[in-house]
Formats: sequence, C-alpha cells, structure tokens
Amino acid sequence: MNSRVVTSDVLLGIVPIALSIALWQAIVSFGYAPVTLLPPPGMVFLRLAQQLTTTAFQQEVAATLFRLFVGFSIAVILGVGIGLAAAASPAVNAVVRPIVRVLAPLPKVALYPALLLLLGFGHESKIMLVVADALFPILLSTYYGASMVEQKLIWSAMAAGTPRHQILFKVVLPAAVPSILTGCRIGLVISCIVVFLAEMITSTDGLGHLLVTAARTFQAVDMFVPLITISLLGLILNGLLEGLRTYLLRGFPEV
Amino acid sequence: MISMRMLVSRLAPLLACLGLLGVWQLGALILDTDSFPTAIDAIRAVPSILGDKESLINILASLRRMAVGYSLAVAVSIPLGLMMGRSRGVASFFNPLLMVIYPVPKAALMPIIMLWLGVGDVAKTLVIFLGVSLPVIYHSFQGAKAVEEKMLWSGAAMGLSAAQRMIRIVLPAALPEILTGCRTGLVLALITMVTSEMIARQSGAGNILFNALDMGQYDTVYAMIIIIGAMGIGLDAAFERLRSRLVKWSEPRFEIPLSFA
Repeated sequence: MNSRVVTSDVLLGIVPIALSIALWQAIVSFGYAPVTLLPPPGMVFLRLAQQLTTTAFQQEVAATLFRLFVGFSIAVILGVGIGLAAAASPAVNAVVRPIVRVLAPLPKVALYPALLLLLGFGHESKIMLVVADALFPILLSTYYGASMVEQKLIWSAMAAGTPRHQILFKVVLPAAVPSILTGCRIGLVISCIVVFLAEMITSTDGLGHLLVTAARTFQAVDMFVPLITISLLGLILNGLLEGLRTYLLRGFPEV
Repeated sequence: MISMRMLVSRLAPLLACLGLLGVWQLGALILDTDSFPTAIDAIRAVPSILGDKESLINILASLRRMAVGYSLAVAVSIPLGLMMGRSRGVASFFNPLLMVIYPVPKAALMPIIMLWLGVGDVAKTLVIFLGVSLPVIYHSFQGAKAVEEKMLWSGAAMGLSAAQRMIRIVLPAALPEILTGCRTGLVLALITMVTSEMIARQSGAGNILFNALDMGQYDTVYAMIIIIGAMGIGLDAAFERLRSRLVKWSEPRFEIPLSFA
C-alpha cells in the first residue's frame, strides 16, 4: 500500500518535468524558435551523453567537483566548529555574533574580484568563494540547533556522570545534527551555484567556463549541456546527503 | 545597567564592521601591493562613485530591478509554497521539478535568456525572480507542512472554508518560516543582481564593479564592494526589523541567533 503511494507520487512528480520537456520540444518543432537559439531537447541530451564519455569533458567536471568538495568540506568544518563554540561559550558568542551579523548578509560574489586579485585565478579564489558562501547557513543552523538543545538532556547526562567537557560531543552535537544537516543541505546547493558562477566569471576550466565559451561562440547546444550537468550533480549530491541524513538520524523522531 | 548592555549589543555590529575594516587596513599595509588598496583608500573612493550621476543612476536601476523581481517572486512563491505544504498532491507534483532547478545557478541562465529577451531589464528581472522564488517556496513549504493539524481541525469544526483556513491559520503559523525564506531570498536577490549584470554588461552596480576590475581601477573595485556590501547589510537589517515586528509572538524569550537559513 505504502509503496503504491510512493510510486504514484513519483509518477506525479515526473509529469511537470515531462511536460516542460514536451513544451520545449513543441516550441522548437512548431517553429516558434530557431534551432540555433533553442536546440531541441533530444539534441541536447544526445550531446550530453556524447560529452560524458569524452575525457576533456570529464576533466572539466572533475575540476568543478574538486572545488565544490574542498570548499564545502572546509565550510562544514568551520561552520560546525564555530557554531558549536559560539553556542557553548558566551565569550566566543559575543565576538562571533556581531561579525556574523555583518558578514552573513554580504553578497559574497561582490567579494570575488577582491579574492581574484589576492589569490589569483586558480583553485584558491574559487574555493574561498565557495567557503564564504556556504559557511554561514551551516554556521547559523549549527548554532541554532546547539542552542536549542533541551537543558534536561544535559542535566540527565551530567547526572549520569558524563564529564563536563564531553557533554558538548556526546549530547549537544548529536542533538544538533538534524539542524546541522538542514544547514548543510542549503550550503550544498549554494556551493553548486557559487562554484559555477565563479567559473563563469574567470576561469580556464570547469563547467561554468564551458558555458561561457559556448555562449561566446553562440553554440546553443553546448550552453545547455553544462547547465544540465550542474543540475544533475546537485541532484546526486543532494541524494547522497539525504542518504547520510537517514543514516545519521536513524532512531530520531521524524522532524 | 540594562541600558548599558542594550547599548553594547546595539553597537556590536558597528564595532565588528570597524574591526573588519581594521583587519583589511592592516592586511593591505602588510601586503603592500597595487591590487589591494588600504581600506581608507577604498572608502575615499566611495563618495566619488556615489557623486557621479551616471553611476548613481546605474545603481538605482539595479535596485529597481531587484525590487521588482523580488516582490514578484515573493507574491508568487508564498501561495505556491503554502499549497505545496498543505496538499500532498501539489507537493509531489512540484517537488521534483524544483529539486532539478534548485542547484542550477540562475545567473547562469542569463546567457540563454539574453538570447531571447535581450540584455534589457526584462531578462535581468526574470533572473532575479527565478533566484529568489526557490528558497521562498522551499521555506513556505516547510512552514506550511509543520502546521499543527489540530488547529486546522478546530478551524474546520468552527466552519472555516479551506481558503479561509489557509489565510487565517496556515499563513500566520508558517509566517516565521516564510520570513526566513524571504531573508535568504533577499541575499540571493543581491547575488543574482550582481552576477546578472556582470554577464550582461550594460548597466547596473555589477557592471561598474566588473568593468573596473577589467580596467584595473582597483580603488573603484573595492569601493563598489563596500557599496554593494553596505546594501546587503542595510537591506538585511531593515528586513530583520520588519520580521521581528511581524513574528514577535513566535520568538522564545531568550535571544535566538539570527536565522539566515
């Protein structure tokens, strides 16, 4: 019964995607748009499949993924660390809070020129931008999760003889995991977006660079390929994170 | 004593700003390269940009596009998100589509949209609209999903129609979450605004920034960064004020962290 509900949900979900692809095809085949501006979907997916097997394309994807992973990992480590520290210690909190208050709403892309001038055109500036953008959602949700931990849990742990310095890792961190993972999910999506943008602005490799080169030479087909690729990458990474979430949160009540 | 603490907590962001500028100044003095001017030099360049009529018009045009795109996105996304949260069918209809679109950088659609709509206001506003709507939909969806069933049942028992229940129960109950989404959307709107103008170099704040970068006018680059940063901080602070007024009832008594996401 349950599985039937799930399949009908999946089927219902496929409908709008199928519809938009059909609309896309219809626009092309009824001649509303010239093929040079909007290539038919079949051509784009064929091209994608073709490209996926070439090493040149794989290298571009690898470059993007490398920046994405390194930046995102640094952001997770920093965000969870600072977030926990700020929740645990009032002194750290007093320092971190105003700085976060100022830096969080800053549009980080505007910092990218500065990062370029300081760190150069290589991996570093792009990774830094990913870190800067993904850090704050993770930091804030860690802090939020950690400061919302029920006091009773901490008292019980203390009564059961947990030493004070272990409470942070044995009680607060696990209790904050759902919130941290929500932050990570948003951070991941933002990382995907930002790494692509950074590569569009200045780069010699990566998916964003592919898009820009295609746009400059008016190769409409090649413009769609990197876009679909980043969307697929986002979906896959999101799925992995979701898997991690169900693994880590087994036994938690459904949030 | 309390007013003293209030004063400190009010001033803390300002102090943080000054501290960051101080770090910048020190860093620039230590590095001492042309491409990294000191904070004071950069701030000195700000009035000359704001004083210039052309750049001021450019910046205002950016803000106008942002305001239009943002308001449209919020107006469309909140009802959609709420409906998704309350009806399983609507949710499973839209969810996969949104999942597919979410990780695509909206500004990256700019080159394609430009082919269609030109480099004018319409293309840029559309990109901002797309960028803002997803987080707002997502948060409205989460907020509406978490509404307590009992309240809806009581509403139904008291004779509220489905539409009335939506407006009088679901909307207020989901409001804190919706506003969190709107706040994320605000930052995203600024990001998309800057990047869309960077790609379609025609007018706007992003255009000034990246043109200056290409021409090596580093003072202007950093001054524009300050201006755009100040816009972000100012808009966020204004929004936070509005938010805390609207959803005061939902705040716990102790101070909660500013919820960016």
